[in-house]
Amino acid sequence: MKRFKNIVLVAAACLVGASALAFTGCADAEDVVTLRVCSWEEYIDLGRWDEEEAIELESGTIFGENAVYDDFTEWFNNGDHGFKVKVEYSTFGTNEDLYNRLSLGDEYDLVCPSDYMIMKLLAEDKIEEYSEEFLSFGGEENYYANNVSPYIDSVFTQYEWKNYAACYMWGTTGIVYNPDKIADEADVATWNILLNENYKKQVTIKDNVRDAYFATLGIINSETLTSSELSSVQLSSLLNDTDSETIAQAEDVLKRIKENVYSFETDAGKADMVTGKVIANYQWSGDAITIMDEAETDETNGTELWYSVPDECANLWFDGWVMLKNGIDGNAQRKEAAEAFVNFLSRPDNAVRNMYYIGYTSAIAGDTVFEYLDWNYGAEDDVETIDYDLRYFFGDDEKYIISADRSCFEIEDGDGQVINRGRQLFAQYPPENVKNRSVVMLDFGDKLAEINQMWINVRCLDLLDISPVTVGIICGVVALVAVAAVLYAFRYKLFIKHKPKKGYKKIEE
Amino acid sequence: MMKGLCFNRKHLCIPYAAFLILFVIAPLIVIFYYAFTNGQGNFTFDNFVNFFTNTNTIGTLLYGFAVAIVTTLVCLIIAYPTAYILARSKFKKKYVLLLLFILPMWINFTLRITALKEILSVLEGNISAYPFLNSVIGMTYDFLPFMILPLYTSLLKLDNSLLEAASDLGANKFTVFLRVTLPLSVPGIVSGVTMVLLPSMTNYVVLDMLYNSTFIPGSLIFSYFSAYDWNNGSLISLVLLIIVFIVTLVTNRFSDNEKDKRVAIL
Repeated sequence: MKRFKNIVLVAAACLVGASALAFTGCADAEDVVTLRVCSWEEYIDLGRWDEEEAIELESGTIFGENAVYDDFTEWFNNGDHGFKVKVEYSTFGTNEDLYNRLSLGDEYDLVCPSDYMIMKLLAEDKIEEYSEEFLSFGGEENYYANNVSPYIDSVFTQYEWKNYAACYMWGTTGIVYNPDKIADEADVATWNILLNENYKKQVTIKDNVRDAYFATLGIINSETLTSSELSSVQLSSLLNDTDSETIAQAEDVLKRIKENVYSFETDAGKADMVTGKVIANYQWSGDAITIMDEAETDETNGTELWYSVPDECANLWFDGWVMLKNGIDGNAQRKEAAEAFVNFLSRPDNAVRNMYYIGYTSAIAGDTVFEYLDWNYGAEDDVETIDYDLRYFFGDDEKYIISADRSCFEIEDGDGQVINRGRQLFAQYPPENVKNRSVVMLDFGDKLAEINQMWINVRCLDLLDISPVTVGIICGVVALVAVAAVLYAFRYKLFIKHKPKKGYKKIEE
Repeated sequence: MMKGLCFNRKHLCIPYAAFLILFVIAPLIVIFYYAFTNGQGNFTFDNFVNFFTNTNTIGTLLYGFAVAIVTTLVCLIIAYPTAYILARSKFKKKYVLLLLFILPMWINFTLRITALKEILSVLEGNISAYPFLNSVIGMTYDFLPFMILPLYTSLLKLDNSLLEAASDLGANKFTVFLRVTLPLSVPGIVSGVTMVLLPSMTNYVVLDMLYNSTFIPGSLIFSYFSAYDWNNGSLISLVLLIIVFIVTLVTNRFSDNEKDKRVAIL
């Protein structure tokens, strides 16, 4: 025993020694700060573009050679900051995944959660405030403050996130669909498509309680939402309704949805949409763009897919960079590096790189981004065009109206306004009227457990739902097998220990 | 001191002991702690009571059982004849044949299930119409080698002279099988069943990938964890653990053969 103790002691000493060495290794190179960044999977340009992928704009060519975070390291270390930086970039799959990791003690300096998770982290006082310098307009390398869209800025001011979060990507949720397989356009103009029996087992929904709950609220309140003009406050309260009564109602609707849809999907929806296994797919706008691009270029069954924002309401979402208190830990250099990272991502050419690579919509406005849009979506000379107004996002100037291909939008007969359905540009930047009908889905707060229980009830097999016939069949089969096994064992005296007869002895092997 | 540092054979188990403590004992303690506390860290039986009084959670448990049992039966029905033929064949290179069955295990299973999904789509049309069937097919595909291997080893070492003796004493082929071959292969069946039944109760990835939107216990645990509810999630893990324990106790009674146990660990 004593020897064992000694061994353990020596082993422990070795470990301590090794880690001490490792620490001194860090301390020696005092001027290198490690920045721990955690963001969504596939949410940043990783470089290695093909040569023909280069985006040639008038203001210069944009090309992704290396990952953006490597470019950041190079950019930062070439600058005059008095210290060097090293980026440790990791990813998470869901907001809940990130939150669980944080509560288990993982430390990150900069993370990129969604709106409701920012709210939750803010409420728990885990977020480090951005410095005044970062937030102030004008500084030479203040790319975020200088270039963030006035619209995004107003939203972040409205929800009081502005000092804590720097928006990275944003978008809506809606339905990607194949117009050739849809009987009537009106079918995809409503969340009710999830319950539409004409498309039984042909539509997918997101496997995530928040998105599913939102669509359900859209279905429940469909009449109110479509029949009357609601103020944004009214909209928001209707679609953030977490009354117990509403939750119970949502449970019924979701159970019907479960019977009607093709599947609850986490990631398979993209491929299923492109290969044509499903005809419509509840999707986030950025992924919708990826799907449309892929379906278009698919060699075997290239199709033109569309994106619809249901008439009732769309969910407006934002992902933002926040610095975490326990990661930054009062270290001024680390904070400076984190802010520089956000600024570097917000430099318009980098914003374009990320947008091109991941398909989502950057929060960064500015002429370079607009030029990219024009390069990407501007109509050719020989097609009929419409003026697609993006002034709400880029700023109040006539030049921010794109002359886009008319056939890529659903247009109202009367006033020629773009409504509710369109292709890539529509999905990437919703028109102002769609944006105005959208709401941000807030954190469930202390209703989370109740809503999650509702979700579990929907997804689980309820004992009371099993029909007596099924129970009878199962019991019958089980009984039959059991009886057969017992009979067999008895017939051949299996598993019965034989006692030797009197006068005999069992020989041990 | 030098003597104290002497290395003897017992110390070889230190890595294993450390592994055991870190990755088996410690997590178990954590599971127990969470299962019997509420969100505020107070001791409670509420999670337990809730689990066994909610028709949804019990339904999930039963559904998981149903998928697992049917999978096990299908595996057994496919694997037994296969293993029998493999073990009794005169073919000299039967290891090559066996390899054919084990080969798929070397490919990542999500990849295999994705391929299976495409095949099923061609066969069935809309695969979301048969969630239960697809889950069983997917699980069977995934776990079949685990059934074949133990059956194969137990049939391989079957003493031929016993079969000859039975035939000499007048048993026809069917009787020989029923009275000699089958009883002697029971340990193999048992370890095969254990190896398929238990993992297929919690392998929710297969269900997810094959569009079965009904939860099994594994997905239920995941769902609780993603709502930061460690307590209920841990409780379900504990319930599963108890079930595993009971199944192992029952099966150990049948499998008294050391070799089979070794295969089971494989």
